[in-house]
Amino acid sequence: MSAASAAASIGRELAAIAGAGHVYEDAQALAAHALEGVTPAAVISPGSPEEIAAVLRLASERGWTVAPVGGGTQQFLGGVPERVDIVLRTERLRAVHHYDPGDLTLGVDAGLTLSAVDGMLAERGQMLPLDVARPGAATVGGVLATATHGSLKHAYGGAREFCIGITFITGDGTIAHGGGRVVKNVAGYDLMKLLIGSHGSLGVITSANFRVFTRLHSTRTFECGFATLEEAMRFRDLVLRSPLTPRCLELVSPYADDYLHAPPVAQNPDETEMLPVDQGSGAWRVLVRAAGSDAVLARYQRELRGGTTRELQGEEEGCTWSAVSEFSETVMARHRNAMIVSLSAPIASVAPALAAAERAALDNNFLLAAVGRAAVGSMILAFIPLLVDPPSAMQYVAAVSAFRGSLPRDASAIVERCPREAKLHFSVWGSSPTDLEAMRAVKRALDPAGILNRGRFLL
Amino acid sequence: MQFSSVAKRLRAIVGRDAVLDRPEDLMLYEYDGGLARSTPRAVVFPRSTQQVVEVVKLAREAQVPIVPRGAGTGLSGGAIARTGGIILGFARMNRILEVDLENQRAVVEPGVVNLELSNTTARHGYYFAPDPSSQKACTIGGNVAENSGGPHTLAYGVTVNHVTGLEVVLADGRVVEFGGKAPEAAGYDLTGFFVGSEGTLGIATKITVKLSRLPEAVATMLAIFHTIEDAAHTVVAITAEGITPAALEMLDGWTLRTVEEATHAGYPLDSGAVLLIEIEGLREEVEEQAEATRTVCLRQRAREVRRARDERERQLLWAGRKNAFGAIGRISPSYYVQDGVIPRTRIPATLEFIAGVGRKYGFQIGNVFHAGDGNLHPLILFDPRDADQTRRAHAAGKDILEYCVSIGGSITGEHGVGMEKDHLMPLLFSASDLEVMARLRNAFNPESVLNPEKMIPLRGCRETDAARHPGAGLGAGATA
Repeated sequence: MSAASAAASIGRELAAIAGAGHVYEDAQALAAHALEGVTPAAVISPGSPEEIAAVLRLASERGWTVAPVGGGTQQFLGGVPERVDIVLRTERLRAVHHYDPGDLTLGVDAGLTLSAVDGMLAERGQMLPLDVARPGAATVGGVLATATHGSLKHAYGGAREFCIGITFITGDGTIAHGGGRVVKNVAGYDLMKLLIGSHGSLGVITSANFRVFTRLHSTRTFECGFATLEEAMRFRDLVLRSPLTPRCLELVSPYADDYLHAPPVAQNPDETEMLPVDQGSGAWRVLVRAAGSDAVLARYQRELRGGTTRELQGEEEGCTWSAVSEFSETVMARHRNAMIVSLSAPIASVAPALAAAERAALDNNFLLAAVGRAAVGSMILAFIPLLVDPPSAMQYVAAVSAFRGSLPRDASAIVERCPREAKLHFSVWGSSPTDLEAMRAVKRALDPAGILNRGRFLL
Repeated sequence: MQFSSVAKRLRAIVGRDAVLDRPEDLMLYEYDGGLARSTPRAVVFPRSTQQVVEVVKLAREAQVPIVPRGAGTGLSGGAIARTGGIILGFARMNRILEVDLENQRAVVEPGVVNLELSNTTARHGYYFAPDPSSQKACTIGGNVAENSGGPHTLAYGVTVNHVTGLEVVLADGRVVEFGGKAPEAAGYDLTGFFVGSEGTLGIATKITVKLSRLPEAVATMLAIFHTIEDAAHTVVAITAEGITPAALEMLDGWTLRTVEEATHAGYPLDSGAVLLIEIEGLREEVEEQAEATRTVCLRQRAREVRRARDERERQLLWAGRKNAFGAIGRISPSYYVQDGVIPRTRIPATLEFIAGVGRKYGFQIGNVFHAGDGNLHPLILFDPRDADQTRRAHAAGKDILEYCVSIGGSITGEHGVGMEKDHLMPLLFSASDLEVMARLRNAFNPESVLNPEKMIPLRGCRETDAARHPGAGLGAGATA
């Protein structure tokens, strides 16, 4: 069968499941859903978990590879796929199953956007502490699949801490659910943990239940500036050892400053000059966000005295934290060829890891801008190429390799975004402390035909 | 292989003094904190990961089940050798290997007693947050197996929220690492998946845990109510106010009187129910929230709200709660403790239902539970020497758990499924849910050598799985 007739067969069979109106095969739709230059044969938007199960059963039988997509905000993640037969969108799954403000629990479909969820919770003074980029497009399913989090991780942890139930479809089309809708529940295996951060390689998440929280009110952000990273880290340690319990504690490197202060407007990346040539303010900053009564905020003022250079509140404070969430997006809007790396390190290794990243960047014609949860060990690093002498694919490889090679024990680095040409030369995932063979056994158990996101995940 | 030769080889692995196989010794390992009984063939006490590996390999070769066990304080039969076999006791693997304050982590062997870790780190201002009522005896390995909770999980979560890395011996004897000291890494969160797997996926031999800062201030209060309904409504009113207490416990009138007679904690004998409420954190926050909590309680018709003035008074208030099971043990030949969970807004209706179950079966049922997160522990008092009473106690327990599930709850909040509740799993999970769980178990434990016949009901799962997934198991098949 020719490639064209094979594609026509996929479209026909998918239309029999979800209806022709929900299967897209026109060139424009297919191009819009290309992943790292690999164009799918068909795009489908099923209307129910049962339809998704039917699609996956069929794909497993036929050996068609499937790439699940939520809002499409993080499709840059992962390796270059060897082949994508079907892009499976969850956009039509948008029901709210239950919202019980008194119980502080919520159950929603995977295709609902975070903005929609937040709007509903805000009416009752509650929230899901997922302050991620592009909340108007990012979906619940996508955020869970990629384990994305924002600055609120400092106080609330990631989704693994507050996702209390999940429904998903395995690679071979079995509908499965784990957990439940109560905040405390240890019945059965914790399938939430397995699916969160599995990057669509074990199943397609169709709905999830969450524990929700009281919305932050009366907040204040204390901005503290330091001449060196070491001073900033000493300050972080002081806060960590103090009785203070901030909602967010964010480290901002000198070069990152510029991306937080300027509005995150998209410019033509090819015409953008290397903007922060003078290292911004030259200072490392620590942002400490407190919430509570006047007495509590006054206590923060007293405890942080000496470090604080500015206090932010109201709109200015809100804008700052939005800018922190959108840091990677802003960098990419200005520098098409930037490389974004997600660093995970034990707390005490954050400083040496940042120093290693800075060396690896400078040695390979990049500047380093970093923002992240320094007290948790979770940082976003932007390797910004110098426009005057743009790096070759091998310079990305060299920078990543040098950086990973000098990481302290237990730290790891995932390349979230970089040019495709570079991606072809190394693993974007890097090493994992978790046994690969055990992970493969899990993958085989849930996706026996190996059709989900083939080539994009670690395994 | 004859079991006598298995026992001989076990002695060669761990030493003569570390194997028990005389009937009078094995009797001590027939049970845990629950009702179930089953006798193992031998109990061994390894001292190292390598010894665990050798025992697991021997068990696999001889096709003898192997059941890991901490202190045996579990309440669902998880640490009992249901089908006979070898119990792997962790009493000798009880070292705190590393306290890494800079990274807020500790690395421990599974036999470390929960409270010992907090006592060791308290002088540096840190503690291990999960605090089951049995924390003076239970082990961190057992906490990991059962994903244990406790009174303070309302604010701090259960064990899984405090474990970042594991060294695990798999069913084929391979030693693997899951996670480490960092917050996350590439790959599946097998650490989170493993916690709460009740010994059915592998045996944890090294555990990396988070250490938490001790709070600056603590306010412990006892709110006293005329009726249990008022106390139940207060639970929802407190969280609706945006207050998240570190602990929010309830004792009903009958239970608190029984407890008071045993512990003299100062609980008023003529009240209908009490709430034990603890607020922790920054001094200013604690004062504000304690005051707000007092206001809510009084608005909800609490007749009095007492606050512990010092650590001695605080410990006294907690003594009543933490010793409640023991106090009830003084007055009844036995009791059957349930571990149901409900949405917290349904506490009043559920307590009413439980009272009805007590009347239906003719049992006194005491209620002492984690009201803040809806985790109920009805205690059904009965005499296990009476077969009819035993049958009725089980029936009453099943009625209660079925009700919990029918209103959106669960059959276990912190004690696990074990062998006590595997037959109830279909109340919560469909056949396909259970099949997926069985597939995952078979990926790690294909021959069911590790803790067989626990958690997942056997029939209908393994057969289905075997037919559809002949290539299950760690060493099987090509890479997907």
